[in-house]
Amino acid sequence: MTSKLTYWGTIGVAAASVAAAGPAYAAGTTAGTSITNTATVDYKVGGVSQGQESASNSFTVDRKINLLVEEVGNVTTNVVPGQSNAVTTFQLTNSSNEVLDFALAATQITGGTASHGGTDTFDATNIRIYRDNTASGTVGDWDAGDTLVTYIDELAVDTPIRLFVVADIPAGLANNAVAGVTLRATAREGGTAGTQGLAIAQTTGANTAGKDTVFADIAGVAGDTPRDGSHSDNDDYTLQTATLAVTKTSRVISDPFNNTSNPKLIPGAVVEYCIAVANSGSADATSVVINDPVPGQLTFVTSSILLNGTVTGGTCNANGVAGGSYTNPNVSGTIATVAAGDTRTLVFRATVN
Amino acid sequence: MRIALILLSAALAPAPALAVNQVALDNSVFVERVTTDASGKQRVLLEEPKIVVPGDRLVFVLNYRNAGAQAADRFVVTNPMPSAVRFADAGDTRPVVSVDGGQTWGTLDTLTVPLADGTRRPAQPADVTHIRWAFQKPIPAGGAGKLMFRGIVK
Repeated sequence: MTSKLTYWGTIGVAAASVAAAGPAYAAGTTAGTSITNTATVDYKVGGVSQGQESASNSFTVDRKINLLVEEVGNVTTNVVPGQSNAVTTFQLTNSSNEVLDFALAATQITGGTASHGGTDTFDATNIRIYRDNTASGTVGDWDAGDTLVTYIDELAVDTPIRLFVVADIPAGLANNAVAGVTLRATAREGGTAGTQGLAIAQTTGANTAGKDTVFADIAGVAGDTPRDGSHSDNDDYTLQTATLAVTKTSRVISDPFNNTSNPKLIPGAVVEYCIAVANSGSADATSVVINDPVPGQLTFVTSSILLNGTVTGGTCNANGVAGGSYTNPNVSGTIATVAAGDTRTLVFRATVN
Repeated sequence: MRIALILLSAALAPAPALAVNQVALDNSVFVERVTTDASGKQRVLLEEPKIVVPGDRLVFVLNYRNAGAQAADRFVVTNPMPSAVRFADAGDTRPVVSVDGGQTWGTLDTLTVPLADGTRRPAQPADVTHIRWAFQKPIPAGGAGKLMFRGIVK
């Protein structure tokens, strides 16, 4: 540039009424918008103002397809065997510069490492996708008011929505078994409410004067490449079940001759049985019912059952709360809860016939 | 009296021959793309605005030329920002800018923007609504030059 510029400071010029700024969308200017830039020149010749000159150019903003599928809360969903409607939560954001439809697919991962480090070992069943109803029910959590969906209709730009992948868990699985699931969303043409739009293809070859399409999405989970018009994320279910082991021990409490001093197992001796239920799983076991038939050579001591006792260092403490019942020949009792990692006992006494 | 009359007539005289299109102005836009080659060198390419999506960097180039026979004085080029473009910088062309729709002008560091609570904050490039280059010296006959600024598609 040859001419020197001067700063005129504040120049009182009738403001061209140009909107200060358009609405600030993070996803950007709506596709198809024409951007026109106009420059004007004012000048004088021989001290006389001359007619204003102006020059313009314009171009059309193309369509950028971008979306994001994200797991909500980076934790596995704990489930129990046989559980119905186990929920994993995702979020879908349309970061394109146009309102679009999104096809949804929830799939199982097969083997390999699941989202939270475990190895995928089983498949959930009856996988469904729900869209959170933000108008009623529990917003943010899956409930009966949420809508079963296969695609998202006319998703506004930059407005994340919450999606739930809901599945049933088979019975008979081991503790800590993992099932990985993937939610994938693929951009489809918007514009017609109530129906899923057509698939979108990227504009290949030469630019057209109109609105072209550019895929700008990032890679999702394994197999989901960048710039393919879709995005995905993983989540997983981890089985939390109780794993129970039962051991039964006995000791002689007294006999009619030695009483409690070094008692021997002679007729008339009192024997104490301890049935210990140990839970080595990850979930509490509740309503644990214990049944033990008393051998025919023994006679149950009435009201001798103690429930919910403890074990210390592998030794039965023979404590607990009176309860249970005896229906010849069965001793039975229910322990309300055997917590994960805990051991609880049923203790009863019988005499040798 | 005669002198006064002459002065009066000079003041009332219509502007001498408005030189139509004496100044030629050309406005073009490019998309600035930065590519990195195998050796890690960055290369800036200016492309025609074929594929343009939000976030793209644009370079607006204004070429001017005084095609007339006389020097052009008080030469002022004004460019309102398109509403879908956010101002980034103007290279070394040092324009004055406006952040209030053309009411007040100054270099960006001298301007402020009112906040909702009544205070003012320093203006940012994104606040710019108009750009203006005001030339101190006349553009001689046949003189030409180039102005530029960068923007980002919102």
